[in-house]
Amino acid sequence: MSETTPTPTVVTASVRIAAPPGVVFPYFTSPVLITQWLAERADLDAQPGGVFSIDVRGNPARGTFIEVDPPHRVVFTWGIEGDAGLPPGSSFVEVVLEGDVDDTIVTLTHHGLPEAYRASHQEGWTEFLGVLAKVVPSSPLQG
Amino acid sequence: MAAPEDLATPAGPDAVLRALADPHRREIIRLVQGRELPAGQIAGNFSLTQQAVSQHLTVLKRAGLVDERREGTRRLYRFRRDALEPVRELLDEFWPDALERLKEVVERDHPRGSGPNPSRARPRPSRKSTT
Repeated sequence: MSETTPTPTVVTASVRIAAPPGVVFPYFTSPVLITQWLAERADLDAQPGGVFSIDVRGNPARGTFIEVDPPHRVVFTWGIEGDAGLPPGSSFVEVVLEGDVDDTIVTLTHHGLPEAYRASHQEGWTEFLGVLAKVVPSSPLQG
Repeated sequence: MAAPEDLATPAGPDAVLRALADPHRREIIRLVQGRELPAGQIAGNFSLTQQAVSQHLTVLKRAGLVDERREGTRRLYRFRRDALEPVRELLDEFWPDALERLKEVVERDHPRGSGPNPSRARPRPSRKSTT
């Protein structure tokens, strides 16, 4: 199933959170808060050009902040240290927080993943395999 | 199509990822992704001993990433693309799962309707009533 379904090179995910953007935003920029949901270790300097360094289930995700606009938007580059397929800073993550009454809709878009992320293109396997080796946390699939 | 006689149950994403977390093994996969190659020819691409390459091939085979076919004394290897399916699914779920976790954590830390969360480490001004 889905071998013929093209996989986009941009990954988007969104969630609605029952808290306003001002509450949610620091969970992307504070090392104390980010380690509660995304990382087990974090070194963050939340300003343009500042370091974005987190360990995601043992994978060293490294990059820099590109844009920090509380509480609406934060953009940081992303890559995995030691991975030639997705090196530090090679892709970027854009997070948009939109207030909706007392809620926040968080929309996250991961741009610039290697062309290889398209499952149906054989020539992309080279880089795709580099991504797989390091990006994915080793947790059991949900459900 | 070679019968996957050496494969029991599908390896699952962790075994696949461990197999992929080695640049030599990734290079082997590149070599055999579009065509079947014998072990000797694969080994010729590396400055490793043939035994080392064989060990890598065994890891890949056990993870279901390559099929091994024997032809006389030769062993031929070919990439099995469907072995990556569970990992592809995992990649697709990484950010959605992370955002679900974010939601749980934020809503736990800031329950609706209770005002400032009393469990946050913020010193409260002491209130002494004076009558």
